[in-house]
Amino acid sequence: MKFLFWGLLFFVALLRILTFKTPVTDGQKVRISTKVLQEPIRQQNYQRLVLENLIVYLDPFPEVYYGDEVVVEGVVSQNKLVSAKLLSVKENQGILPNFRKRLINFYQDSLPEPHASLIAGITLGSKGSLGKDFWDKLKNTGVVHVVVASGTNITLVAGFLVGITTFLLKRRLAIVFVLVGIWLYAVLSGFDAPIVRAAIMGSLVFTAQEVGRLSQSFRVLVITGLLMLIIKPAWIRDLGFILSFVATGSLIVFQERINKKIQILPAVIREGMSTSLAAQIGVAPILFVTFGSFNILSPIINALVLWSVPLIMVISGVAGLVGLLFPFLGRMILYLTYPLTSWFVFVVDFFG
Amino acid sequence: MRPKYLFSVLALITLTVWGAVLAYPDKKLHIIACDVGQGDAILATYGNLQILTDGGPDNKVLECLSKYMPFWDREVELVILTHPQADHFTGLIEVFRRYKVDTFLVSKLNSSARSYEVLEKAVGSNQSRVVNPKEGMVIRLGLIQIEILHPSESILEQKSLDLNDYSTVYNLKFGDFEALFTGDIGPKIIEEILAKNSIELVDYIKIPHHGSRNGTALELLKASMPKLAVISVGKDNSYGHPHQEVLKMLKDLGIQIKRTDEMGDVEIETDGRGFKLLNP
Repeated sequence: MKFLFWGLLFFVALLRILTFKTPVTDGQKVRISTKVLQEPIRQQNYQRLVLENLIVYLDPFPEVYYGDEVVVEGVVSQNKLVSAKLLSVKENQGILPNFRKRLINFYQDSLPEPHASLIAGITLGSKGSLGKDFWDKLKNTGVVHVVVASGTNITLVAGFLVGITTFLLKRRLAIVFVLVGIWLYAVLSGFDAPIVRAAIMGSLVFTAQEVGRLSQSFRVLVITGLLMLIIKPAWIRDLGFILSFVATGSLIVFQERINKKIQILPAVIREGMSTSLAAQIGVAPILFVTFGSFNILSPIINALVLWSVPLIMVISGVAGLVGLLFPFLGRMILYLTYPLTSWFVFVVDFFG
Repeated sequence: MRPKYLFSVLALITLTVWGAVLAYPDKKLHIIACDVGQGDAILATYGNLQILTDGGPDNKVLECLSKYMPFWDREVELVILTHPQADHFTGLIEVFRRYKVDTFLVSKLNSSARSYEVLEKAVGSNQSRVVNPKEGMVIRLGLIQIEILHPSESILEQKSLDLNDYSTVYNLKFGDFEALFTGDIGPKIIEEILAKNSIELVDYIKIPHHGSRNGTALELLKASMPKLAVISVGKDNSYGHPHQEVLKMLKDLGIQIKRTDEMGDVEIETDGRGFKLLNP
């Protein structure tokens, strides 16, 4: 029975990947009419979008935002759409994209750069407005995972919601509440592969707890990956997807063991150090192959800054919610992140 | 709340308050030519008062504002757009979106750029007061005085000039300190301004048009005799700015040259008598 289940799952996933093809061929002129499902990245001369698995470079104006409806015309060339033209863009007035935009605006109106973008990145995975210099430094120091939507965000949101709801609600109801919260956050933060991965895994683990089955992390990870590939085979080529799975796998296998070996370190940085070291075991080779470099000091840099990330996320999350109703009060709360983001920026500047 | 959490929150509040107090500005005027690549963005800041002239070609100007303004100051008192070309206005879009801008000094000129519409919209939602500069106009902000030297009414009536020639040119005075800001004006306009005898001796000049040979004229330098000439220019730009002729002119007159492509932000401070270069 068990064998049949796994065999079937692997078989379907494999079938989907093998039969999956980009629906268009090179050199073909196409018109794409779709919703923007990943936040565009802005630079001086262009904005970069991913539409229907194709990378599209557009003129920087008019600006396109996550969730907008766009019509784009261009010529397919491998995984890119070249000489692309934006034919129309319709702003998404939906509650969640709107809410996301207002939160980011609140951060940007209240704090200077790079603090505002760092906070938008940590809380919402928004990397669109990060300056190029700072982005490069984040990449060089190996802490860029903090500002892209990653599984950590889901873990933090889930942890925060569990902390609140178990006080107020009955267990069964609390779990429903947490699940809804996780998926709302997944949409809010841009629905990137790592977020979807964490949201599925989180949901599986919570539900398993509820129906009284002890879940085994590694198995949950594999099921999640196969499910995602069956739904969207294109993810097999998504670097975020690959990194997310390799990192999580390495964490499951190595983190506890490493944590035990570095008991001498103070508790504040031990967690960050063991997390980073464990993840690097799997991730470093991939980064090296794709980007041609990786920072040997990365685990130390991560250990120095990772402790501040949950604090920044919780304070700015609360500040954002309060700030949309009472801007002044929200701003006062948000200021409390300033010493933390200053430390973060200092470390990244120093090592970058 | 458990004592451990309470302690952390109190510690964070203390740190924030100390940070806010330590960020409090000194009692000097600082002028910073921001390193925004090929373009102009110049910030003058005195206490809580800021004047931003142009915004450069992209959002890099935000880094400059963030660096030289206290983190709790979200208000720029005056923004001046010398002329509506992309390397001068694009960065202002985000400035208007993120900061409260009291007054916007800008000529009524049209730009064909799509992004200029976006800027106009951002200015509209900011509810800034929009003022059109005109020769002879004087603006006072605290102890700072701004005298507009250009454009004159006769220039504004001519519709066919190069956008550069409509650039807002002004003298900034603070105590005995004087600085001349020249936008992207060319030799013809320089001649016209000089003919009116409105150029005074200054301490500081922003060299016109990123050091193009179509900007600075020897007569302008001789009339203003600045001690420091600042050139806002991008590294390896495709125009070859700044041009050798201009650099030679400045050298021959013994004027100190500072370039944003060589040293990043160029910052000076003054108490109203002389000035000091802060990043020599």
